[in-house]
Amino acid sequence: MTHPEDLLPDYVDGTLADAQRAVVDAHLQGCAACREEVELSRAAVAAMGSLDEVPVPFGVTGPVLAEAGRRFERRRKVAWERLQWSAGLAAAAALILVVVLNLGGDEEPTTVAEQAGTGATAAGAGAAEAADMQRFASGFQGLERQQGVNYDQEGVRAVARDSVTALKDATPAPNAAPGTEATLTYAAPGRAISCLRRSGAPVGDPRDSLIRLIEAEFEGRPAYIAAFLESPGARQPPDQIAIWVVSTDDCSFLSGATQPV
Amino acid sequence: MPDAPRDEDLVRRFLSGDRAAFAALVERHERRVYNLALRMTGREEDARDATQDALLTVLKKLSSFRGEAAFTTWLHRVTVNACYDLLRKRQRAPLLERGDDDLPAIEPPPAADHSDTSDLSIDVQRALIEVPEDFRVVMILHDVQDLPQEEVAAILGIPVGTVKSRLHRGRIALARALGVRPAGASGERPAAAEPSDGAMSP
Repeated sequence: MTHPEDLLPDYVDGTLADAQRAVVDAHLQGCAACREEVELSRAAVAAMGSLDEVPVPFGVTGPVLAEAGRRFERRRKVAWERLQWSAGLAAAAALILVVVLNLGGDEEPTTVAEQAGTGATAAGAGAAEAADMQRFASGFQGLERQQGVNYDQEGVRAVARDSVTALKDATPAPNAAPGTEATLTYAAPGRAISCLRRSGAPVGDPRDSLIRLIEAEFEGRPAYIAAFLESPGARQPPDQIAIWVVSTDDCSFLSGATQPV
Repeated sequence: MPDAPRDEDLVRRFLSGDRAAFAALVERHERRVYNLALRMTGREEDARDATQDALLTVLKKLSSFRGEAAFTTWLHRVTVNACYDLLRKRQRAPLLERGDDDLPAIEPPPAADHSDTSDLSIDVQRALIEVPEDFRVVMILHDVQDLPQEEVAAILGIPVGTVKSRLHRGRIALARALGVRPAGASGERPAAAEPSDGAMSP
């Protein structure tokens, strides 16, 4: 005997066409097994009717929406910075005086000269790194290697806060006095700077200058932590510190923070 | 009053940078996602986790959503997968947690005393968890969430015929888990008096 198993769910649901329903009815007349199954199915459907929809408990979707907000912020910032970068290249050519000092060619440490206080910057970089030319704020000390230091998000925020404090408390360094040529020395800047640029950081933007660059760890991953002093527009006073944390491995954006000046 | 935007329009708005569109999608569907997860996992705590996992997956993968399927079909699929993942994790966890303090401890099953809630729905939920997952998910989508069989087939990526057979077997399994005794089996129903040949088709 062939049982119309594939028709029974629709039979129970009452959605079978008349002709098929007649076939099932005729079969059930002579098949106790199928009658039993239909009866069990109906009991199950009725039982599931007691499973009322319940409201979503408090706190379930909040973290998801918060994450969405963070992702939007990151995406918006990266998109904005990329736009700035492409627009900034043209502006930089007109606004930034780049002086390439060839002090010993490829030898490290590289030397960077800066005309502090005038906004003009000289990046000690070879032609290959010309695209990474970057403004450095007065007082920039070069790449700080902080071995064994592991930052978390709160630590990154602290860097932002400290940067603001340092700006306010800053006494002009002897080699960074306005109108004089300053010489800074730091290790392997090209790698860190190009890595930052790849992550979407405002490298080369005339409205941003790098005030601090740290090589440490962020949540256990080797990272560059860069503090930029940002202005709302070219030749306007800076209004915030933006921290970028990028992976030294793949230059991906790991975290960020901002702090008003 | 203007018509509410379609899901697909909200997805487009989200992809073009409208942050509120994602919140609108979540608000519109969170209840359905949570209830599917609750019925699949049988525990509020697991349902919360599965719901968050599903919505985070939606957030991460929405940019790759091409609209070949309806958004709700895709959302259900993501939710079902989140439930399967969580159920698998829960099965593995008792073995792992002995040697790994980082893993969350597994809570004991809910206490038996539910005098302040519906006894019937609690019994049904418990019985539902005894139904094999592949049958259970079909029953929840069709019998609890009222989705047509074709939609269930699209969500799960299986033929409609398979949906029908899982639905049928799942319902019978649920009734048995609930201890339902068919009247015909006890000889109470006159129509059942006629003997069956007992031969079942494969």
